[in-house]
Amino acid sequence: MLPGIRIDHSRLPEQLIDDGAPVERIALLGADLPGLRPKLLCDQGDRVKRGQAVFHDRAHPEVAFVSPVSGIVESITLGPRRSLSSLVIRSEIGQHEPDPVVMATSTSDELRAALLAKGFWPAFLTRPFGRIPAADAVADAIFVTVTPDNPHAADPRVVLKEQGGVFQAGLKALTLLTAGLVHVCQTPGTDLAAGLGDRIRAAFFPAGHSSGLTGTHIHRLHPVDGNRTVWSIGYQDVAAIGRLIETGVHDFGRVVALAGPRAKRPRLIRTVAGASLQDLIKDEAVPRQDGERLQVLSGSALSGRPASWLGRYHHQITLLDNAAPRRKLPERGLMAHLRLASSRPGPLIPTAALEQALGFDVPLVPFLRALSVGDAETAGRLGCLEMVEEDVAAVSMACTSGADYGRMLRHILDELAEDS
Amino acid sequence: MTGWLLDPYRISLRTGWTPARVTLAQLIALAAPVAVSVAERGAPQIAVLATVLIAGLIWELAFNLIRGRALSWHAASAALIFAVLVPASVPLWQVAMALSFGLVFGELVFGGRGYGIVSAAAAGAGFLVFSFSGTGLSMSSQAMALAALPGAVLLLVAGLISWRVLVSVAVVLGGIAVLQDGAGGLLPVAIASIFSLVFLIGDPVAAASTNPGRWVFGVLAGVLIMLFDTVAGAAVAPAAIVFASLLASIFAPLIDHMAVALMVRRRRARHG
Repeated sequence: MLPGIRIDHSRLPEQLIDDGAPVERIALLGADLPGLRPKLLCDQGDRVKRGQAVFHDRAHPEVAFVSPVSGIVESITLGPRRSLSSLVIRSEIGQHEPDPVVMATSTSDELRAALLAKGFWPAFLTRPFGRIPAADAVADAIFVTVTPDNPHAADPRVVLKEQGGVFQAGLKALTLLTAGLVHVCQTPGTDLAAGLGDRIRAAFFPAGHSSGLTGTHIHRLHPVDGNRTVWSIGYQDVAAIGRLIETGVHDFGRVVALAGPRAKRPRLIRTVAGASLQDLIKDEAVPRQDGERLQVLSGSALSGRPASWLGRYHHQITLLDNAAPRRKLPERGLMAHLRLASSRPGPLIPTAALEQALGFDVPLVPFLRALSVGDAETAGRLGCLEMVEEDVAAVSMACTSGADYGRMLRHILDELAEDS
Repeated sequence: MTGWLLDPYRISLRTGWTPARVTLAQLIALAAPVAVSVAERGAPQIAVLATVLIAGLIWELAFNLIRGRALSWHAASAALIFAVLVPASVPLWQVAMALSFGLVFGELVFGGRGYGIVSAAAAGAGFLVFSFSGTGLSMSSQAMALAALPGAVLLLVAGLISWRVLVSVAVVLGGIAVLQDGAGGLLPVAIASIFSLVFLIGDPVAAASTNPGRWVFGVLAGVLIMLFDTVAGAAVAPAAIVFASLLASIFAPLIDHMAVALMVRRRRARHG
């Protein structure tokens, strides 16, 4: 088990897929798209169809973001520096869904155009930086993550079993987008990518914290730096791409694991990307006698975020007890002088727990020091380009300092991305 | 800097080390050696303990009050290590003065526990030997060596000292002992050095912080102990370990720098 994190003794989710509660509203979130400035293609109150583009990236107009449901745009909230905060769509049940259109996807250019137009391009994330790739970029390799990163996550094999052959169709399509290999990183078992040609290569990683993370797979199989870029994509997105190619159906469905100590029945539920968590978990949380409030996380307990909407890249919802209110800082007396805000972050004491928490071969303490002082050059030299926030989440928990290294890493990655 | 802290919900999930918990583990590890020192040296040692604890906590409190930072209580564990090292015959004002120097200039002026570059206890002990002529450090007895063992195991299991440092320094010291006196030389060396190796050389903050660096640091510390020891006399003198710890700690950042350069080069080679 991970050092530094309270062991979650709650029941593991039952690996059975249920239909989730119907969701009235869904949102496209700025939190999933760091640094993106949208050019809106719809207005508040407009009626949009499933698969219709609602905004695109101002810097890369080819990259469209589409509505996962048919409905009415309820609100558009912009954040600082004209970034997107959220775009909420109220779904209209019973509205006529667009007819499936099978698009030509036999060449790289056709596939690219189809994915860009249909809103599946943002399923890819680049490494380094963890951003959506440019429309004309070619990956050195593509990593498909088919591993759970914690015991409470959904088992991808269970999810893919009911999808039929679309996952394999999606994998085959991915080879058109890279000159190199498509790595299918999966848990030990039957090969999900067997017999698909020699450019689709299976890699087996045991389930577990660091071995389940995309960053670890890339670090082991195809380390990246400033000159080499790989893309990663989740298994459900690959299946959705396969379905788009095979049937023309636009499917933004998600199977997510519902877990955590406050989940009434931990299991897998079928819902849609961006779903309102309030709607989804209406009847799923255990009420507490003492009325303690519920903390809903999109993502895992370790790397998820408190949210009211399911994140674009998240496959898990965690229901926790609300964090105990911080003890109020004393206002008078000796302790008032010793409990100032300047006490934190605390010192970094190099313990062995730190080294167990990171799945990368980097000099950890010098690396964390570089992150702490915002030294982008050193951090880049020591290998921060291979990481994103989720890779250092466990380190933050194990460190004596109580600092959020994920946030520091994002700050440095943004700085490096601007320079490159 | 408040924007860099963990969210409250993740703080509540966190069970890991905090600076105060690190100190607590060290204090538990120190309990047996301190008890042995009291049993061996009697009432004067109790006076020494009281002096160092009071002096140490006064300095820590003073610095933390000025800075407005939470106490790590590390002055207590540094003071206890120091109390085990000094003989009970040293005048108490000298004890207080030496510890104050060690704490303030070894640790507190840099920002406290975790920010210093040398072990505060070693800095204090070194100051004592240098400043007051005729003062030596107390030799470790067999009972003291035995008492240090459970603490060593605790710290190793908790990951608060690196086994790489301990193994490399022990191999160097043992090898030299065997070369000089045959297999019979091992035991006296182990008895004389085990406490200081665990609590001075093994201090995670003062040691190198990269894994290859830790091996080099251990070897360097071992070689320095041998070097200072031949200058000092027969059995491994406690002062030799203290000065070896100080000098090796000063080299630790350089060792780390070279280890990092090596790791970066290896990385580059791997990336092609």
